[in-house]
Amino acid sequence: MKTADNRIPGDLDHAGLIDRVLRVNQAGELGAVRIYQGQRAILGRKGGKVGPLLKRMAEQEQQHLDTFNRLIAERRTRPTLLSPLWHLAGFALGAGTALLGEKAAMACTVAVEETIDRHYARQAEQLGDDEAALKDTILRFRDEEIEHRDIGLEHGAEQAPAYPLLSAAVKGGCRLAIWLAERV
Amino acid sequence: METRPLKDALVTAMLPHAAFDGWSLATLEAAADDLGLDRAPLPRLFPRGAVDAVAHLVGHANRMLEADLAEAGLEGRGVGEKVFLAVKLRLDRWAEHKEAIRRATSLLALPQNLVLAARLTWGTADAVWLAVGDRSHDFSWYSKRATLAAVYSATLLYWLDDESEGSADTWGFLRRRLDDVRSLPQVRQKIEGLVSGRKAALGGLAARFRSPVPRC
Repeated sequence: MKTADNRIPGDLDHAGLIDRVLRVNQAGELGAVRIYQGQRAILGRKGGKVGPLLKRMAEQEQQHLDTFNRLIAERRTRPTLLSPLWHLAGFALGAGTALLGEKAAMACTVAVEETIDRHYARQAEQLGDDEAALKDTILRFRDEEIEHRDIGLEHGAEQAPAYPLLSAAVKGGCRLAIWLAERV
Repeated sequence: METRPLKDALVTAMLPHAAFDGWSLATLEAAADDLGLDRAPLPRLFPRGAVDAVAHLVGHANRMLEADLAEAGLEGRGVGEKVFLAVKLRLDRWAEHKEAIRRATSLLALPQNLVLAARLTWGTADAVWLAVGDRSHDFSWYSKRATLAAVYSATLLYWLDDESEGSADTWGFLRRRLDDVRSLPQVRQKIEGLVSGRKAALGGLAARFRSPVPRC
């Protein structure tokens, strides 16, 4: 099946869909990189056991971001207008949850990565055989995001203070950010 | 059916007529007659008539820019030089149709076409940056296009009234405008220098507002 083959009137066409996919993913990975930077600014210095973990996850996110930076230039996609906002909001979210403690930081990671996992899965579903390379990239990144989620769960995300509240707030914020970054 | 080549041919054929009669449905029909085409599908190709034809012409010119630049060769030039060359080629190709372009500009200057005019200018700035191989992926994507849109529209107006041999005056104007833009970071540095000179005073002021919570 080809991309956007079974669309109905009002749905995005192929070019419009790719445009959105690349813009939101680049914005999302930018946000992710900033979240980890925020967390590392608070937790990284203490030299605790999560320091090296955060470093590895941050490096993976940086790779994702580099890939999407390259792709939006190649596919001539307009980058999100809100990149200064993601720059600030990502760091604030990372640093803010890290200030609540290691477990809250992990809870934030879990909530973010869960949303991204679902988001990437939905995108992969929309992409057809003619976008196999992009689809593979997204699925590969999704596996790494799931890995990050599991790391978060292993490190006591669910024992964070007010976990359901925190998790719901972060997830809601992520979904809003996705909706905005697709469009603006 | 791919209609773009047909529309490209039609708007190109409109140019000699538009120089005298402006951009209108009559011009479009005259162009169709010149090409030996049926007039019937014209409203389907350009639903809003002359405005659509002008918009298509701009897109057509933007698409041709890439080939023109590739022919001129970009290797070994700095970014400023590349942009200069791109804007020059973009305008130069239409030099013999200056009058038709002027008429198009007047049509776009009408209040009801302002949004379209802004979008077309942005599209041209985008085309120039893409053609010179810009790969920015952050906010500079927007600032680059906004700056170039301002430079391009000023240069276009200068070019329309330029009677000099080979529009030489325009290229001087363009170079000065691009130099202005390039000196913007220097202005910023100067301001930053001034600010940091007063840093001590500012720092003292900032200290008063720092953290309401006592630090432990």
